[in-house]
Amino acid sequence: MDFFILLFTDPVRFYNSHELLIAQIGVNAILAISLFVTFYSGQLTLANAGFMAVGAYTTVIMSLYLPLPLPVDILTGTLLAGAVGFLVGLPVLRLRGIFLAIATIGFVEALRLGVILNVPITGEGQGLKNPGADPLGGIVPILVSLPIIAYLVWRLTRAKLGHAWAAIREDELAASSNGINVALYKMLAFVIGALLAGYAGALETHINFFVDPTEYSVTRAIQILTFAVAGGTTNVLGPIVGALFLTSLPEIIRQASAYRDVVNGVILILVIIFRPQGIVAGGGFAIHRPHWWPVNWRLGGRTASTG
Amino acid sequence: MTQQLLNAIFIGSIYALFAVGYTLVFGVLDVLNLAHSAVFMLGAVITYSLVAIHGLPFIVAAVVAVFICGLLGLLIEFVALRPLRRRNAPPISALISTIGLALIFVAIVEQATPGTLFSWLWQDGANSVRFPSGAVPDPTYHIAGVTLEGTKLGILVTSILLMLVLGYVIRYTQVGRALRAVAENRRAATLLGIDVDRIFASTLFVSSALGGLAGLLFGLALSDISPYIGRDQVELKGLAVIVLGGMGSIPGAVVGGYLLGLIEVVAFVRFGSNVEAGVAFAALFLMLVVRPQGLFGARLKERL
Amino acid sequence: MKNRLQGITVAVALVLAACGSASTGGTTSSSSSYQGKTINLGAILSLTGAGGVYGPSSKKGMDLAVETINNSGGVNGAKLALDTEDDASDKAQSAQVAQRLIQQGQLLALLGPTLSNSAVAVHPLAESFKIPILAVSTTGIHIVPDCNYPKTDPCKYVFRDSLGEESAIPANIKIYSEKAHPKTGVLLVANDDKFSSDGGKIVQATVAQYGIQLLDTVQFSKTTADFAPPVTRAVQKNPDVIFITSLGGIPAKIMIEARKQGFTGQFLGGNGFNTAVVSKQAGAAGKGAQSGSGWYINNTFPSNASFVKAYRDKYGSDPDQFAAQGYAGILILADSAKRANLTFSDTAGDRTRLRDAMEKVNIDTPLGRFQFTSTHDVKQTIWVIQMDGAGGFNLVISVSPS
Repeated sequence: MDFFILLFTDPVRFYNSHELLIAQIGVNAILAISLFVTFYSGQLTLANAGFMAVGAYTTVIMSLYLPLPLPVDILTGTLLAGAVGFLVGLPVLRLRGIFLAIATIGFVEALRLGVILNVPITGEGQGLKNPGADPLGGIVPILVSLPIIAYLVWRLTRAKLGHAWAAIREDELAASSNGINVALYKMLAFVIGALLAGYAGALETHINFFVDPTEYSVTRAIQILTFAVAGGTTNVLGPIVGALFLTSLPEIIRQASAYRDVVNGVILILVIIFRPQGIVAGGGFAIHRPHWWPVNWRLGGRTASTG
Repeated sequence: MTQQLLNAIFIGSIYALFAVGYTLVFGVLDVLNLAHSAVFMLGAVITYSLVAIHGLPFIVAAVVAVFICGLLGLLIEFVALRPLRRRNAPPISALISTIGLALIFVAIVEQATPGTLFSWLWQDGANSVRFPSGAVPDPTYHIAGVTLEGTKLGILVTSILLMLVLGYVIRYTQVGRALRAVAENRRAATLLGIDVDRIFASTLFVSSALGGLAGLLFGLALSDISPYIGRDQVELKGLAVIVLGGMGSIPGAVVGGYLLGLIEVVAFVRFGSNVEAGVAFAALFLMLVVRPQGLFGARLKERL
Repeated sequence: MKNRLQGITVAVALVLAACGSASTGGTTSSSSSYQGKTINLGAILSLTGAGGVYGPSSKKGMDLAVETINNSGGVNGAKLALDTEDDASDKAQSAQVAQRLIQQGQLLALLGPTLSNSAVAVHPLAESFKIPILAVSTTGIHIVPDCNYPKTDPCKYVFRDSLGEESAIPANIKIYSEKAHPKTGVLLVANDDKFSSDGGKIVQATVAQYGIQLLDTVQFSKTTADFAPPVTRAVQKNPDVIFITSLGGIPAKIMIEARKQGFTGQFLGGNGFNTAVVSKQAGAAGKGAQSGSGWYINNTFPSNASFVKAYRDKYGSDPDQFAAQGYAGILILADSAKRANLTFSDTAGDRTRLRDAMEKVNIDTPLGRFQFTSTHDVKQTIWVIQMDGAGGFNLVISVSPS
């Protein structure tokens, strides 16, 4: 409760004492958007954790060993993540649905366990220290980038690219028989998602003092997935809201009790059951009349479509 | 090397048992039940609780715990899955709601310390415990230069027996036929008069009971019971197993389990350290690229 | 006339009295200006997760110290207030909790975090905010004074009262070698945890000088499920000693598995061994496992007996090394606060004053007479202990600081 009280009564002090949280929300929002982009084209991938890792490690390694300015490091990290995205995307293009998801899980863990943990330059199991981190200043690029990225992605979804993605998502076969180059567009979505994830990874290292392989595991990817899905995958605002809500939830209820994870889980389930389309999406609450509920008693909201 | 092979066979049994439950739900119901690893953990926790806190003999505790885990499967169905089916929610929601449930299960155990709400279930919070020595007979045999642990042998035998029973049920009984019908085509099965809801419930019951059993055997043989055993160690590997073996195929899950155990141990012996797990996932990735239906899978599911 | 004179005298006396009590910075009046104030401290501990076997002990020790000090007059009349938060043994969460504690409260100092792995993130953060932080259980390398390693400039606000592995492990190996003259060893190390791999490096650097040949270094992940493969590899080499530098539930599992596979040699370890939880978990398999510790329950330092008694009275169980180091940590901060001439109005300045006072601390604690070295580190007696197979420890020998 003090969380909200502070937020509304003294926003400046709230900002100052919660900077790290706000920055983390920003990073999570960008990550959720990266998932949204691929999801929009019908691909469920959990690979963003891996692309994040590429972006993050590249940036930190470069800033440790090369005397280049920080923006160059971040740019390189992002581009490299995109390149890896391309390489990973190629073989998995023809996989659909849950198979694609699992293949990407395989990629993430193989990257983390096989590569990162065994290559000395990455600091292996202990990760790397990032002495150039700036927990206070590092939030600025995040807060600046987020609206820009959101806007760009929104434009993309309204453009021809977005329509092609939607078509592919609805029915891949029909889309390709209509002349859409399915492989190209899917790859584009994949690579854009990878770029965004790499960028987010690079930004995140500059509010932390470290990079650590456990940050980039499938658990993280699944967490991002919950942000995107709970927030709503029909438009760009969804993942942002999802990230905002679910990242700050543990903080809000931290005060409440030791059972915050339980509450977290309960809220997640409630959200997904009563608003399976996500928080930010059309449609009312999905209320379903149980068979024992008397017919003439009204249940709030519109009922979900029968099926 | 023989010792390492034995190690591989043993861990393979655990993976196989865990994966069979996983693949049962996925193959029949098209749902990836991510709460399965939490039930795995609860199988161990409940058995420990019955033995260490409530003083029941081990075998009794094990049977009771497996049954309770089956009931948890029903809980998963009624809380996380059925409401979504009723609302025609997109399949991905089932993924998320099972994640939520898993979160809850783990958090409950994690917070349970003496004097709290759940201290009748668990009192060690986030710590790792083992069964009280003497609670379970644990002989170790040294034959021909290799060590055979009694508990691990028991697990191997139990796993194989169970998988044979399950295979028989699926192929030769009516319940099994109904299961296969639902797996093939849910709508057609409904038209044939099969109650899909009941199939969901019974599949989840069996799957979770198996998962719980795998968990308690894990805790027993590896002397490790904590709120995190499902999450850290078997959740993703279970996924790798069902992919390697073929999703929806029970013999596939079994073979996949042993295969993974073997890959891990061989990679460990050859390369040491973490490469072993990395290799397992690389194998997963390759299998999906080359042969998405795995070794034994017959159908290629297309939905998300 | 008399009244006016009296009046003036009284007025002058009042003014003088007011001047006297208002002069801050004066040594004699500092005790009265502490009256009724609160000294806010924060602790970041691993109460859950892998470090959850150590954190609760530290917390109990700290809570006991706070209670004891507050019940006997506080710090010159000021009360200690300790806010403890859990970091779930997760590095990122540790950093977030730390930042929140620093920026939200009026904290004068921090304690923790529990794990060396988390300290990598938290200590540089505390340093950049210029708030003193006292580590009470981290024993890895590059904790003090180079918390910003690989940068070498010393961190001015980071301290620790927990005996580092660089001292404890070599002492342990030395004592064992002198008694048993082992020839061979195998090192089992988790390569994704800082504490563990630091300990591993120290073992590797030390064994040669005692004539022990390291036959193999077996690395594994701290999330490994089944330790049979790494243990098999170690046991098959038939070493005299198996070195285990991991923490949490791992040492016990390794020891149990190794005994099952027929290993009859010696286990030598690090700080990860030094809690009752691990000793109990290992049970009979761990009997005789030896490590260097910063504390031993029956040590004869002046303030130890009262600490042990008070702990037993309050908690009904024996304290362990982590509890003692947590307790000592609060004593150190309380003593420093006493001498620091805190203003209670200028938080930033007070933190620096506290830091300066900490550097000069010299008090009795259950760990012995305590002073920081010039690098804010600990120099103290090393207690070489062995697990007794029943959840406790026996003393082998104590090694005085060199």
